[in-house]
Amino acid sequence: MTALARTRTATTMAFRDQLRRPLMLILIVVIPAYVITQAIAQTLATPRRIGLPDGVFITTTMKDLHGAGMGGVVIAFVAALLGVFVMQSALDGDRRLVVAGFRPGETVMARLLVLLSGTALVVAVAALVTALNFSAANWPALIVSLMLLGLIYAAIGALAGALLDKLAATYVMLFLVMTDLGVVQTPMFHVTPGRLAVLLPGYGPSRVMYDGAFSGPFHASAELLLSLGWTAALAVAVAIVLRRAVGDWG
Amino acid sequence: MLSAALPTTGAFVREHLRAPLTLALLVAIPAFFVLIFASVLGDFAKALGGTLAAQSATAVSAGWAAAFLSGTLAFFQVSSSRGADRRLASAGLGAWRVAVARIAAALAIGISVSAVAFVTLWLRSGIGHPLHAAVAIFSFAVIYIGLGALIGAFVKGALEGSLMVLLLFSLDAFSSPEMTLSGAFAWTPTRSAAELLIAAGGGHGSPSADWLGMAAVAVGAVGVALAAFWVAARTRS
Repeated sequence: MTALARTRTATTMAFRDQLRRPLMLILIVVIPAYVITQAIAQTLATPRRIGLPDGVFITTTMKDLHGAGMGGVVIAFVAALLGVFVMQSALDGDRRLVVAGFRPGETVMARLLVLLSGTALVVAVAALVTALNFSAANWPALIVSLMLLGLIYAAIGALAGALLDKLAATYVMLFLVMTDLGVVQTPMFHVTPGRLAVLLPGYGPSRVMYDGAFSGPFHASAELLLSLGWTAALAVAVAIVLRRAVGDWG
Repeated sequence: MLSAALPTTGAFVREHLRAPLTLALLVAIPAFFVLIFASVLGDFAKALGGTLAAQSATAVSAGWAAAFLSGTLAFFQVSSSRGADRRLASAGLGAWRVAVARIAAALAIGISVSAVAFVTLWLRSGIGHPLHAAVAIFSFAVIYIGLGALIGAFVKGALEGSLMVLLLFSLDAFSSPEMTLSGAFAWTPTRSAAELLIAAGGGHGSPSADWLGMAAVAVGAVGVALAAFWVAARTRS
C-alpha cells in the first residue's frame, strides 16, 4: 500500500469514526445556534463605547457586542473540546495503526483533517447564525477571525488532551476559554482589553473579530499577524506531540 | 451495605484525585471562577436586562462553579467507569453498593468544591446569610451531579457528554433569576437554588417555597444519579 493510499485509508476511517456519532454532529450545530441566538435575543441595546485596534473608538450597543462576539466564544468552547477528544481518540487507536504498518505522519494527518473539518463546521454554523441576527461591517475579517479562534483553541485543546487526563483537560479548556474570551478580551466589560490581555491566545483573533464586526476599513493587521503566529506555532506543536504520541509506542 | 460501600467510596474518590493536577484544579477553578466572574457578572446581568446586584452576582458565580465542576465530574464518573463498575458488581459488591459508593464519592467531591467556592465568596465579599448560601451552593453541585450522571447513563462519548453538560450550563446561564427580563426556561433545575443564593448573597432570607423547591430538585437529582450509577453498573454494553 502506498503512503497516499494509507493516508487516505486513515483519513476515511477517522471521518467514519466521527460520522458514527450523530449526537456529536447535532450538538456541534445546536450549541452555537442556541447560545448565539439566545445571547443576542436577550441582551438589551444599551449604548456602549469600545476601542478597536489602531486607536479607533466607536459607540455601539451591548446587544451588538453579543452579536459580534458570542460566535467566537462558542466556537472556542466547542473547538477546544473537539481538540481534547480527537487527540484522546488518536492516543487510543492510532498507535495500533502504526504497529500495523502505518507511518505516524499518516495517522497524524488524518486526525488533523478531522479536527480542521470539525472546527470549520462549527465556524460555518456560528457564522450563519450570527448573520441571521447581526450585520457585520466587514464579513471577511469577521469570518477569518472566527476560523482563527477555532483553530487556536482546537490546537490548545489537542495539546491539553495529549498532556492531561480527559477530566483535567476539560476543566482547563472550559476555564481558559471563559476567562480569555468571556472576560479578559470582551469589550462588554472593558473599553479595550487590559495590558496583559495580549499574552492570552484569544487576544489577536478577538481584536480582529471586533474590528471586522464594527469597522469597514481594516485596522487589525498586527493582531491578524499575531493570530497567524499563534495558529502556526500551535499547529506545529500539535503535529509534533501527536506524532510522538503515536509513533514512540512499542 | 454501608460497610462494603464505604471503602469503595474512598477508592473512588482516590481514583479521581490521584492525578495531582485534577486535585489542584478542583481547588483552583472554583476560587478563580468566583474571583474573576464576580466582578463582571453584575454587568452581564445588566446587559441582559436583569437586576442582579453586584453582591448577588458574586454569590451566583459560586453556585455556577460548583455546578459545572460537579456535573462534568459526575458525567465522566458514569461514562468512563462503566466497565470497571460492572466487574465490581459481578465480583460480589452488587450494583446497588457500587452505585451508593459512586454517588457518595461524587457528593464528597461536590462538598469539597462547594466549600472552596463558599470560602472564596465569603472572603471576597462577605455573605449576609452564610448558612443559606452554603446550602444553596451545595445544592447547585448536587443538582448537577444528577444531571451529569443522567447524561453519562445515556451518552457514552466523552465529547458528546461534555458538550451536553456545556449546553445545560448555557441554558442555566441565560435563565438564572434576575439575570434576564425573559421568563423563558423558568423551569430550569437550579432556579430555586439560584433564587435562594441570590437572596443570601444580598443578605435576605428566602420564602419556604424556594427551600422546598430546591430540596425537591436536589433529592430528585440524588435519585436520578443513583439510578444512573446503578444502570451503568448493571447493564452490559
